[in-house]
Amino acid sequence: MNIRTRREFIRDLGVSAAAAPFLFGLPGLAAAKPPTDKQRLIFMFSPNGTIPWEFWPDEQGEDFKFKRILAPLEPFKKKMLVLNGVSNRVRGDGDSHMRGMSCLLTGKELLPGNIQGGSHTPAGWAGGISIDQELKNFFQKQEATSTRFGSLEFGVGRIDRADPWTRMSYAGANKPIAPVNDPYHMFEKLYGSVEDRENLTAIMDGLRSDLKKAANKLSPEDRRLLEEHAQFVSEMERDLKKASEQKLGVAPPTLKRGVSNENDNLPTLSKMQIDLLVNSFANDMARVATLQFTKSVGQAKMSWLGVKDTHHTLSHHKDDQKDSQESLVKINIWFAEQVKYLAERLEQTPEPGGSGSMLDHTTIVWTNELGKGNSHTLDNIPFVLLGNGCKFKMGRSMKYNKLAHNRLLMALAHSVGHRVETFGNPQLSAGGALDMG
Amino acid sequence: MRRLFQKHTPGLIAAFLLFIQGPVLAADDAERGHGIYRKLCADCHGAKGEGVAGKYEEPLTGDKSIGRLKRIIHRSMPDEKPELCRHGDAQAAAHYIFDAFYSPEAQARNMPARIELSRLTVRQFQNSVADLVGSFAGTSGESDKHGLRGQYFKSRSYNGKHKAFDRVDPRISFQFGKGSPDKEVFKAEEFSMTWSGSVRIEDSGEYEFIVKTENGFKLWVNANESPSIDGWVALGGEPRKHKVRLFLLGGRRYPIKLDFFKFKDKSASIELRWKPPHKVEEAIPERTLSPDSARPTLVVQSHFPPDDSSVGYPRGAAVSRAWDEAVTRAAIETANVIVERLDRFAGTKADAKDRQEKIEEFCRSFAERAFRRPLSDVEAEAMLGSQFETASDLEMAVKRAVLLTLKSPRFLYPEVGSETPDDYTTASRLALGLWDSLPDHNLWNAAKNGKLKTRAQVLRQAKRMAQDLRARVKMREFFHQWLKMDEAEDLAKDEKLFPGFDDRIVSDLRTSLDLFVEDILWSEASDYRQLLLANQMFVNKSLAKFYKVEEPEKGGFQKVSLDPKERTGVVTHPYLLTTFAYADSTSPIHRGVFITRNMLGRTLKPPPVAVSFDDQKFKPNLTMREKVTELTKSRACQNCHSIINPLGFSLEHYDAVGRFRTMEDDGKKPINAKGEFQTDEGEKIKLTGARDLAEYAANSASAQRGFVIQLFNHIAKQPVQAYGADALSELRKSFADSGCNMRELTIDTAIMFALHREARPKETAAR
Repeated sequence: MNIRTRREFIRDLGVSAAAAPFLFGLPGLAAAKPPTDKQRLIFMFSPNGTIPWEFWPDEQGEDFKFKRILAPLEPFKKKMLVLNGVSNRVRGDGDSHMRGMSCLLTGKELLPGNIQGGSHTPAGWAGGISIDQELKNFFQKQEATSTRFGSLEFGVGRIDRADPWTRMSYAGANKPIAPVNDPYHMFEKLYGSVEDRENLTAIMDGLRSDLKKAANKLSPEDRRLLEEHAQFVSEMERDLKKASEQKLGVAPPTLKRGVSNENDNLPTLSKMQIDLLVNSFANDMARVATLQFTKSVGQAKMSWLGVKDTHHTLSHHKDDQKDSQESLVKINIWFAEQVKYLAERLEQTPEPGGSGSMLDHTTIVWTNELGKGNSHTLDNIPFVLLGNGCKFKMGRSMKYNKLAHNRLLMALAHSVGHRVETFGNPQLSAGGALDMG
Repeated sequence: MRRLFQKHTPGLIAAFLLFIQGPVLAADDAERGHGIYRKLCADCHGAKGEGVAGKYEEPLTGDKSIGRLKRIIHRSMPDEKPELCRHGDAQAAAHYIFDAFYSPEAQARNMPARIELSRLTVRQFQNSVADLVGSFAGTSGESDKHGLRGQYFKSRSYNGKHKAFDRVDPRISFQFGKGSPDKEVFKAEEFSMTWSGSVRIEDSGEYEFIVKTENGFKLWVNANESPSIDGWVALGGEPRKHKVRLFLLGGRRYPIKLDFFKFKDKSASIELRWKPPHKVEEAIPERTLSPDSARPTLVVQSHFPPDDSSVGYPRGAAVSRAWDEAVTRAAIETANVIVERLDRFAGTKADAKDRQEKIEEFCRSFAERAFRRPLSDVEAEAMLGSQFETASDLEMAVKRAVLLTLKSPRFLYPEVGSETPDDYTTASRLALGLWDSLPDHNLWNAAKNGKLKTRAQVLRQAKRMAQDLRARVKMREFFHQWLKMDEAEDLAKDEKLFPGFDDRIVSDLRTSLDLFVEDILWSEASDYRQLLLANQMFVNKSLAKFYKVEEPEKGGFQKVSLDPKERTGVVTHPYLLTTFAYADSTSPIHRGVFITRNMLGRTLKPPPVAVSFDDQKFKPNLTMREKVTELTKSRACQNCHSIINPLGFSLEHYDAVGRFRTMEDDGKKPINAKGEFQTDEGEKIKLTGARDLAEYAANSASAQRGFVIQLFNHIAKQPVQAYGADALSELRKSFADSGCNMRELTIDTAIMFALHREARPKETAAR
């Protein structure tokens, strides 16, 4: 089932969630938490595989060189782990894109279902919880690490469907979580009450004078009711004032207005969502986030790069179609630039109540549903880790041989103290959490 | 000396008074009555009959005659020492009490009813917001068609090339098993359908929409973009229920769409079900579906505290913090919806040169429609100018303008807009009276063009408006209130005594009662008396079976005629008989109180002592009638129970689930439904059963008076007494002249409300 925000409901005129905005509560709990050493994770997804020869460093170890796709991230070399040879070895129902997407963070077979891909058997939703939700639950269970939302799911690019190609985050088997792909909806979710309070404060003068004018026209008996009403308005005004004095750690970002959720706006939408993500972390609203660019089989048309064809269509083209490969390289560089922007924003933000920058307390996991688009392989999934949230030994290029990605997901859990013995398919968890040094 | 004289010759004094109504003597008698009252009554009843905390708290007001008051005083007052005030003293005291504060006339004199400033009721607020936004977004009229439009495809994509056929399906409830809708046309492995149209909502409240399937589907209710439930990915196995809850307003059609597909699943089925308020889950019935499309309506989901109903009907007489906050939340909801679709509402585009101008115009007409009258340029500038100057962008300005409009007293209190009522006031009241909402374009234009001045002009509008689904629903809500259907909560009965009487039957009975009332209300004659006297009932198969009525040949609910000796209108409708009964037995007291208050329009005081009915305390061989008689035999009880009991007993032919019976308790004790009941005019009426009671209620002047008053309250949310000394008698007369036509009474009432021109005490306002 699709889980939707309040705004998504009411967008359709009328159907809105019963949950009322909590007007006078604080949107963040930033001030309330003791200054502990926070650990955060961001799972960033870009679709359709990569171009291996322009992505993977040739070298292993600390002394590795950047190819074109990863080049934008070179300033972060010391904070990066490039993990070659990690495979999504989950089999069963569903085509490679479906499994690539819906088993990526769950490590478990899809349930049987009615959704038919381009090949293979039809399938349903993921059969288990995804690692981001597993970590969220872990954090939320403990007072010291629990936050208002626990996790936030961001999307970039409009998705009108709910199926195994469009969801990577799962609260459990058959429980997909929809990313919020409109920044205005995300803003509403994070800061709706702040904006509402500001707007209410702004109309108080007008309302007071309106009430006074109306009361003057009335007989004394009738005026009593309006005076009582005016009393509640004054009380609300007092509460608004009190609420405005409770400061957030970091002010909400000012979003550019009127950016419609369409393909050509992807660069702006990406920036807006990343700003909101970093801001929500700075206000400690969540410790886990996903940032999903389009979907598996995503068809972004990156005209701003001079690419005329759509992403997934291009990804099917053969290795010797040079123009297409060049377009795909450009597309993947653009994604790397989004990772870079995210990393920069984290690095520029001092860790609230702690030492260093937020990047020192956050790990970005950049991944993909395929290793390579035209072969649809689930081997050599591009996994890049950036930042020091997990306290891994960073600044390395690693090479493995068809290592089940379950073991990497387990390593992420262990890094925050959640010592799972298996994750997803237990057989694929054999060997335990990957040692990240 | 005097006392002694009167004590022994009350008849003489009465005759004397009758012949010599001299002012001296009347004043003297009143003074004497006052003296008795001060001495014997005021301790418990207060100096002016207002009641005394801890003693007798209820004010001494009512509708009994002087004679009846005298008898009560003579027999039972003062409490436990009635010998202190008998005969002539009782007469004098009764006279004083009656004239000073007890009688309706005295009440009106002491506390003249006035039209109180009122805010919109919750329902009026919700409807007004829906229609206000709808006036920009577009609304949907009635549709007389039924079922949903179904398009069937041979593949899982809705591709025109694969279309098999179109048809209208009365309801969506299909079990295909391992097969398909038609094995000649479809492969069992793969097919799809899409159903669309609208759903007609009659009762406001929380609705649960339920899709039961093992296959893929999407459901949209009151939504055009994101689905209300997205179940496109099948969960496999047995069919499962997917649910979504929505608060919806009655009197509207909402768009509904269901997409379905099967692909390689082991089996296929699809059911579109719902659980309406007060009813059980069922397949959405054909009569509420239409293949005609509809536009979404903004229904604010903000939860409101209930309105003050202390005077017997919900009205906007009080404000509270919780209410103010609910209004704020609803205003925020509305502002968000408007900003999301601002360009469409304002009739502009993102890059239009005159966008700001258009948006400012929109905000002004939004406020004007909300306030139900035009704004002068000065007023518009004063209200909206500063929002556009101080906000950082247009969207923010619009949000603030919407918040200010919906929180303004000019929206929330419909009567504060102008100092003297004018044509816009007439329009506003007409819309509130008939729709619980604000004027539509047509009515607004009538006010604007000066076409609401004469009664004939207003009548034309009222007749048009009475055709609208919203007017039908407002009347439906009146009957729910009059028949106390909204207070009916748990109607579960003892399963051993009443096997087969389950939630399904209760739910069907409610539908049956609604259908019966509406059948008469919207018939040509719309005769109030038929509500009480008609021997028809609406039954479906399961009701027919339970109540042993001939099963209707067609499906759904059908009207059947029953033995007029056994059934008489709403009086014997099983839903009401079930509501006013215990889980294991009848309750003549509950039935009697309901009849007294709601059907006969009489007032009853709360009991002077709290007594509970404990069945086990009685000897087992007593009938219910004997038990109630025993329980209420004291004088204090009899003041009211001499009215209540005979009315309740007259319905003893109906058991706790409303089935007709001639014997009680497995045929051991015959039913005695006979009784004598004294009307408020002092007349004695013999009752032998339900039909006598119904005949009396249908033709009694006081019962009709009660009906007229209650309908007025429902329409105007104000007391009819405040509309002038003749208002009630005028309405009663035209009601009687029209052959008790309820629709005409509704229109007459709405017109009286709309055209009333009260004198405002302006001089006090100026002070």
